[in-house]
Amino acid sequence: MARVMICDDAAFMRMVIRKLLEENGFEVVAEAENGVVAVQKYIEHKPDIVTMDITMPQMSGIDALKAIREYDKKAKVVMVSAMGQEVMVKEAILAGAKSFIVKPYKEEQVLETLRKIAEMD
Amino acid sequence: MSTQNTNDFVEVFVYETSQNVELLEQIILSSETSGFTRDNLNEIFRIVHTIKGSAAMMLYNNISEISHKIEDLFFYLREHDNLTYDSSELSEIVLNVIDFIKSELDKIKAGEHPDGNPENIAANIRAFLEKLKSENKDVNFVSKGGNEKKADESPAAPVAENKEMTSYEAVVFFEDGCQMENIRAFDIVHRLGSVAVDIVHTPEGLIEDDQSAEIIAKNGFRVEFKSDKPFEEIQQIFEKTLLVKEYSLSEIRNVQEPAALEKAQQAENNGNQQAENKKDTELKSKQNSIISVNIEKLDKLLDLAGELVIAEAMLTNSSDLAGLDLPNFTKTAQHLRKIIDELQDVVMSTRMVPLTVTFQKMNRIVHDMNKKLNKKTKLVLVGQETEVDKNIIEHISDPLMHLVRNAVDHGIEMPEERVKKGKPEVGTIILEARNEGSNVIITIKDDGKGFDKQSILAKAREKNLLPKPEKDMTDNEIYSLIFLPGFSTKDKVSEYSGRGVGMDVVIKNVQAIGGTINLDSQPGEGSTISIKIPLTLAIITGMNVKVGESIYSIPINEVKESFRPNNSDIVRDPEGNEMVMVRGNCYPIYRLHKKFNIKTDVTDFEDGIFVMVEHENNSLCLFVDELLGQQPVVVKALPNYILKYRKISSIAGCTLLGDGSISLILNVSELVKLK
Repeated sequence: MARVMICDDAAFMRMVIRKLLEENGFEVVAEAENGVVAVQKYIEHKPDIVTMDITMPQMSGIDALKAIREYDKKAKVVMVSAMGQEVMVKEAILAGAKSFIVKPYKEEQVLETLRKIAEMD
Repeated sequence: MSTQNTNDFVEVFVYETSQNVELLEQIILSSETSGFTRDNLNEIFRIVHTIKGSAAMMLYNNISEISHKIEDLFFYLREHDNLTYDSSELSEIVLNVIDFIKSELDKIKAGEHPDGNPENIAANIRAFLEKLKSENKDVNFVSKGGNEKKADESPAAPVAENKEMTSYEAVVFFEDGCQMENIRAFDIVHRLGSVAVDIVHTPEGLIEDDQSAEIIAKNGFRVEFKSDKPFEEIQQIFEKTLLVKEYSLSEIRNVQEPAALEKAQQAENNGNQQAENKKDTELKSKQNSIISVNIEKLDKLLDLAGELVIAEAMLTNSSDLAGLDLPNFTKTAQHLRKIIDELQDVVMSTRMVPLTVTFQKMNRIVHDMNKKLNKKTKLVLVGQETEVDKNIIEHISDPLMHLVRNAVDHGIEMPEERVKKGKPEVGTIILEARNEGSNVIITIKDDGKGFDKQSILAKAREKNLLPKPEKDMTDNEIYSLIFLPGFSTKDKVSEYSGRGVGMDVVIKNVQAIGGTINLDSQPGEGSTISIKIPLTLAIITGMNVKVGESIYSIPINEVKESFRPNNSDIVRDPEGNEMVMVRGNCYPIYRLHKKFNIKTDVTDFEDGIFVMVEHENNSLCLFVDELLGQQPVVVKALPNYILKYRKISSIAGCTLLGDGSISLILNVSELVKLK
């Protein structure tokens, strides 16, 4: 069972994603409401996968991604974006994000994305 | 989402979005005068982005669309320095959006679908953005750390040019509705970059071409490249690409150099520094563990705590215990008492909410009124962190709004008039909250023209509202006339002050929570309205008194003193009204047994006792048989069947006493009026 950390500044989004994941065999080990907390909690919990909202206060998802990848080259981070953020998603991919999902998303696609990423080495 | 039971989420969505909207409103209002700083622009962008994302998840498309429009606008503002624009116009646009979202949220709260049409507001945003763009043609794009290079760069390919190359062609179809197909294609190109060279793809401009995502979704993404790596390794790249519906990968045998060969390379190293800088800063972040609890549960808890207080009193005062010496029991009972006291305090504290949100709302009201009435008013908030019971907040929100509107509308003069009078052009309204004993005092103070006594009197005369001869009225009583139903000092009810609640409703609301209002005014210098509200409603300390066989409770904070009189201090006026002299002051006497028609042997003053009560500087002495002592009492409203039968204003409610008997709680504010 893959251990996931959810990073989003909206408690609502964290709740939606958590419910989806927990109902489908993922274990949510941590939540973070901004990039700074995301980095701290990554180090603390070492999750298998991180879902990372791009727009967050204090430290953006992209900066958090970079910090996490610097700490752990193998970190698997999936960006959570919305239409209009193409440029930032691209930057995230260049910075090592494994993939991304776009809000509003289809649940199967989120699950497929995370399952495949969990299987990768 | 759509297929799921979304009810669980609606509440959180509404709660969080409301908070975000409030925050947005505050930032906009504070930026309007001081200008939009870079931090503010970023914060606004972040907030609307969050609202957009959440609303889209809930399929509230109108909210997400309008937030998207605002997001676009602030994206532009954020990415361009030195733009010239009218910040009050910008504020107005965002405030309109805020109002729209608020009204949609109200619909959601009411269980309806948010169906408002944001087209007009969206058109305004578009127009503003167009104007912004045309007026600021030569403003530079703000480079964000140099990452905005040509869109389709790929990392340098570590492929030896001289090795034997195989050419490949691949066509990829992504899953329907996975969105941002162009970025997914870019991801493929990016990863191919490590094993392939001469990568050419259709469509060409993945990022800069707006249409590319659509084209890929429809026709698939076609890519050609050369590589010296085995087929399986290349295949892996496509295998590992996510959300691919199908793809084909094939070798091209007769190698033909594609005519338009695109050189796609440029190392990508510079993203990593930023992270380091930020990682060190602000590593301290507060984490509160807060959960939200349904207010009904808290109400229930408060009720139970109240019942517990009564039950404890009934237990320790049980007649079975009379005359027994039970040291251990007494000790345990005292311990129980202490725990119940603490429990009561904790329950009360869970219901306490700071006035911040209520106060902040007033900013918007003053802002709107200034715009409409062409006045200049600033609102100063003092002590907004003061906490009051949740119930109370609900009751005073509307009255406060009304009083603030009144202060701007009727109090503050037009700027020219103010200057003429030698006052600062900008009027000030101070909204202040503070604790005073077991009460919270909220004052609304303006430096406007003050109440006009003569016009209030004239109006009251005209409407036949005068309770007593004009010459007998104190200033305070005259001002209080405005609280009478049917009174309005302006001939025409203006759009603002006349909206929703009237002054009589203000006082009704305040009295409903046991509060009082006091008015003070200096002609030409302004007026002050203070509202005094008890901190908590449900449990009060009562002074229990006995009249005949009946027991009454008087709220202890309204009891000034009690004393046994000498008949020599009693004065009677020619009409037979009784009064008592206390330290040179004369107070009316009120015989409770007469008022409530109770048979008692104690009719001579020297046999009974006086309890002096005070309310809003009015005092009187209640004559009762004897004092029984103080006790915390849980206020229960009188049952409906009694209230329907007869309006009893002098009784505020009832309570159960320790021995199970019922005591009526006296309404001192009504009693002092009767004298």
